This record gives sequence, C-alpha cells and structure tokens, in this order.
Amino acid sequence: MLSASNLGKRFGRRWLFRGLEFELERRDRLAVIGRNGAGKSTLLKVLAGLIPPSEGKIRNTGDDPRRSIGYAALDMALYPALTVGEHLELTAELRECESRTEELLEEVGLLYAIRQPTSELSTGMRARLKLAIAVQSLPTVLLLDEPGAGLDEAGRQVVERLIEQQSMRGAVVIATNDPLERRFATHEMEILG
Amino acid sequence: MNRRIRAIFLKEVRSEMRTKSGLTTTVLFSLFTVVTISLATFDLQISPQLGAGLLCVALLFAAIVALPRTLIIEEEQGTGDLLRLVAKSEDVFWGKVLYNLVLMLITGLVLSLLFLGFTHIGVAHLWLYLVCLFGSCCSFSGAVTLCGALVAQASNRSALVGVLSVPLLLPLTFLAVSGLRVAFDTKFGFNQMNGFIAGGGLVCYGIASLAGGQYLFAAVWKR
Repeated sequence: MLSASNLGKRFGRRWLFRGLEFELERRDRLAVIGRNGAGKSTLLKVLAGLIPPSEGKIRNTGDDPRRSIGYAALDMALYPALTVGEHLELTAELRECESRTEELLEEVGLLYAIRQPTSELSTGMRARLKLAIAVQSLPTVLLLDEPGAGLDEAGRQVVERLIEQQSMRGAVVIATNDPLERRFATHEMEILG
Repeated sequence: MNRRIRAIFLKEVRSEMRTKSGLTTTVLFSLFTVVTISLATFDLQISPQLGAGLLCVALLFAAIVALPRTLIIEEEQGTGDLLRLVAKSEDVFWGKVLYNLVLMLITGLVLSLLFLGFTHIGVAHLWLYLVCLFGSCCSFSGAVTLCGALVAQASNRSALVGVLSVPLLLPLTFLAVSGLRVAFDTKFGFNQMNGFIAGGGLVCYGIASLAGGQYLFAAVWKR
C-alpha cells in the first residue's frame, strides 16, 4: 500500500534520516519513535507528500493521494472562520468524496459542535476534527502525528477506535513517543536524527 | 466552474464575510486615496494623463495591499498543509483567482465611482473606460495572485510582494495608463486607436497571466 526505498531527508548538511526502506500492507501499524527533533514528524510529512524527500522514492498504490492518504498532525491548522461542519464539507468537495459529516462527527464525538467556528474550539476538539478529516475519504494509508496529544481519555479511545477501523482497510503510521500509542503498533521504527 | 473551484471560492467568501479583512482594507484604502487626491487637486482641473495615472496607482496599490493575502494567509495561519493534502493545485489557483477577481472588480468599481465623483473628471469613451477597468482588474488579480504564491513560502513575504510585483505589474500599468488617458480625453487630443490597442492589450495580459499563472502556480504550490 505504501513503500519507501532509500528514503532520506536532510536540512542543510544534517540528515534527519537516510536509507529508509519499508513496505506497508493492510493491517500493518508502524510506530515511528525517536527523541524530540529526531525527524518523526518530518518523515510523516514526506510520506504525506507535504515536503519532498532529499533522496529516495515513495510508492503509494492508492489512486489519488487526496483520497488515499489521510493525515492528522498537531501543527496542522484549521480555518478559524469556518465551522466544524464547513471544514468537512470543504474537504469532501476538494477530495471528491462523500462528506459523511454527521457520521464522522458522531464518530469523533464532535457532532454537538457542528456549527461552531474552529476558532472557538479547544485543542482537543481541534484534534478530533483533524482525525475526522483524515479518515473522511476512507484512506488506504493513515498518517498520525502524535495523535493522542491534547486529547482526554475519551479522545484517546476515539483514536484507538479509528486505528482499529483503519487497520481493516489499510495501513497506519503513527509518530509517537507515548507508550499507550506504541502498543497499537505491529512494527516499530526508530529515527535517530 | 467545477465544484472544487467553487468550494475554494466559497471558502474565501465565507472567511471574508466573517473577518471582513480584505474588503475593509481595500475599500478604506480606496476611500483614503480618492479623498487625498480630491483634497490635493481641489481647485485644479485634472488632465486626462494625470487622472489616468492617479487611478492606475490607486488600483495598483489596492491590489497589492489586498490580493496576495489570500495565499499568504494560508501559510501564516498554517492552513496551507491542509489545502495541499486535499486539493489539486489548479483548483486552488482558479478558486483564489476567481475570489481575487471578484474582490478586485468590487474595488475597481468602488474606486472608479469615488474617483469620478470626487475629481469631476469626465469620461469621453465609456466603453474604453470599462474595458480598461475590467482588463486592469483581470490582469491585477492574475498577476498578484501569482506574486502571492511565489512569496507565500518565503520568510519576508510583505517586502518580497512589492519587489516581485514591479516586473509583473509595470507593463500592465503602462497599458492601463495609455488606455485610461484616452478614455478620459474629452478634447480628443490623443490618438484614440492607441487607447483601444491598450485596452485590448490589458485584456490579453489578463488572459496570459491567468493561463500561464496556472502552470507556474502548480510548480510553486507543491513544495
């Protein structure tokens, strides 16, 4: 579903990672671990296509990356003037997939805030909305950067449920140092930075 | 218009209606410019050349102040990544251009009405005036959207927009001034054909900047 060959990324002369090789199939859950600043989030951004690799190749078997890759990260911002519901409508239109607005918001426990602008949401509520956007198109690869950060116990259960559901249809890559999140993983990869 | 372009356009309109940052800036800028010009030229009869130059400068600065923000703001508020993940670059470009065009047409209309009202300058060729105004708005929105895209990922964005705008907007300003001074020429002292050629050139510049802009934008939008 997603494979990387000889993947490397550097900023200036410093290589964050180099020569990464892996292949993810359905039901695979890869935990990317490493100290702060090692390059976990950068690896996820490279896999999502948000930043180009310095060397190597990524192969995604999905038809269109807009639909086949789901990505949620703490540093990804939302439009402050748009409501929760409008975000899901917008992303569905742009991805050309079904919006499933109410179903997804029910799933992440945010249906009550459907008409609330995201500027009024707490960090945890924003994280839930990002998770809903990430899984909206039923992606084959789900990339989660510190998915439990800012979430309460109920929020963490949402993450766990979404990872379980994702495993049924594809692969999951989680960048984390949280032992609770690491236990979902079938494989681990440490970035030394 | 496809649904994806419409979605980007509506996102911009919704954000603008709720924050009113772009429209307020341009309308206030237009008002201040025209009031300043009318105060400075209170007891003077403005010549067609001067009138054309003043209107072009006002349009140009209104465009530079407001238009690149639609793309720069995506990087400033950190929403660029979300858009890159879910949207095709051409949809982002056309959605933003369409929004900028509407904003620029509103600004152009408000600015020209204020300008004509406050300065009492006459319009000899209404159609040429409208073609020049429409052509300027199209060209400004295409060229400035492109400037915004080029500088969006730079660290000193505001300064770069100004620098980058000069080579892109200078030929456009020449054309707009040439067309508008004929449009304002009530004594028919200028070669009217030149005015119409300039008006046509403006429309062509607008089309060229939009057509080429799509491909340039695709190259700079995806990192």
